[in-house]
Amino acid sequence: MNFELGPAGEAAMRLVFTEVPQPALTRALLEIANRATQRFGPTLTDSVIGYTTLTLFFSASTLERDRTEAWLREQAEATALVDHQAPEHSTADVVLPVLYHPSVAPDLEWLADDRSLGIDDVIALHSGATYFAYATGFAPGFCYLGTLPEALRTPRLNTPRAKVPSGAVAIADAQTAVYPCQSPGGWRLIGACPEPLFNLNNAPPSPLNVGVTVRFEPISEAVFRALGGVIP
Amino acid sequence: MSYLQIHKAGIASSVQDSGRVSTLSIGIPPSGAMDPTALLSGQHQLGHHHDEAAVEMAYADFAATLTDTHDVVVTGAPVRLSINQQPVTSKGVLRIDAGQTLEIKATNEGVYSYLHLSGGIMTTPQLDSRSTSPRESIGGLDGGFLKDGDNLPLSAPDRAVLAADAQLPIRKPKTVLELRVVSGFQFSDFADEAIQGLLTEEFTVTAKASRMGVTLNGAQLQSGITSLFSEATCYGAIQVPPDGNPIVLLNDRQTVGGYPKPGAVIRSDCVRLAQSRPGQRVRFALCSPDEADRISWLEQHYLETRLRDAH
Repeated sequence: MNFELGPAGEAAMRLVFTEVPQPALTRALLEIANRATQRFGPTLTDSVIGYTTLTLFFSASTLERDRTEAWLREQAEATALVDHQAPEHSTADVVLPVLYHPSVAPDLEWLADDRSLGIDDVIALHSGATYFAYATGFAPGFCYLGTLPEALRTPRLNTPRAKVPSGAVAIADAQTAVYPCQSPGGWRLIGACPEPLFNLNNAPPSPLNVGVTVRFEPISEAVFRALGGVIP
Repeated sequence: MSYLQIHKAGIASSVQDSGRVSTLSIGIPPSGAMDPTALLSGQHQLGHHHDEAAVEMAYADFAATLTDTHDVVVTGAPVRLSINQQPVTSKGVLRIDAGQTLEIKATNEGVYSYLHLSGGIMTTPQLDSRSTSPRESIGGLDGGFLKDGDNLPLSAPDRAVLAADAQLPIRKPKTVLELRVVSGFQFSDFADEAIQGLLTEEFTVTAKASRMGVTLNGAQLQSGITSLFSEATCYGAIQVPPDGNPIVLLNDRQTVGGYPKPGAVIRSDCVRLAQSRPGQRVRFALCSPDEADRISWLEQHYLETRLRDAH
């Protein structure tokens, strides 16, 4: 596989595979991150996985650049993608309940109209796919999920909303995600999830971590309210 | 327990210590003092451990009363101090008696000042740090910036206070601040003109500057990179959004991002940038990773020597 290695500022190293994002690649990055934890111990303070990248952060002045780079090169060269079978829809690691209704989803009707689909078709498409967690970040508990069915793919808003409510189920390009807390955001909103996605008292704080599979389960307004959801 | 009763908090005051480690993978930025040298200086003067928190003030306009007697030190950007409306020196350790009111006002230099209190701030640490991450509502006092009327809990002062004035030098910005850059990320994918612009043009610090990062204005850098997979950011990363105005990411940055980055500014220059006001002129200059490591080591060694000699 093709890869590049380089610094990320003065205390971090970055490995990027110049390949198309895919679950097998993410699993390979997770595996290298685990090995790095064993290899470098407490001097490695963080490892962050992106779609095609692994960035290793070291505590100040403990990064032995040449040795770390040589080790990462070895790991990258030894990486081969192992194809796993796509997971069955029914065996996703995480199932998130979603109310798909215009009262909590300001872009749902627009999206259906734009694609000449019924709202029911949009719901069936979005909840019918199994997604893979490629990266986390942007906000605590925010997880980049792919891949969105072709028919639903849409660019971000030209002007991001100043306030996207907590729990908003959103789409952008080939990705979908749930906003874990109120924040600005430019993704299109097609549903609302009543389940909290970030709690520091839980270990890990979010059920959505890189490498998990996720599906969305349509729920009724009554169930949404019963699960603590609020309709504005 | 004693309290710092805050009458006037100012525009962006928050509890900060040296920040968090090992939280990037769960999407939480390190936060921590924007000027770690100033934090260290104050903690040293009060005989604190280096991980005690201080009140960080941006463009200080702060007033508070202590319910008990404490020794205090103010470090970082220079300020004017008064106790019960009587001006006092802002250098070294000051004793503030129970019931006295301390006022701290910015001068026309620098951005971030630090109020250190003997005994230390006793807010509950989250993820092993008292630092406030306002966007995530984590740490500090209720996770946010300090407000008028807040009562900040303090520990009773029980440690001997150093007499020495170990104020570390303020990082005075030069006429043109040089920001040394370790290239990386998408450096080789950037359009040549954009790299040329980055390394030869002068930029100025804009008013869009916060704990998250500092937006610069100058050459409009068109990276020529239209799509990018989201990946980790780092302290000092230079993010170039479509409008072409580079943003240097700092303590409260988002942990991942999808904008192209030609590299990252080294740690010590990031601190100088954080302390720079809008209008400050800056230039970028390339710096090898080895050179960055050497500068970092030298600064660390210098600080340790200064602090040891102050005893």
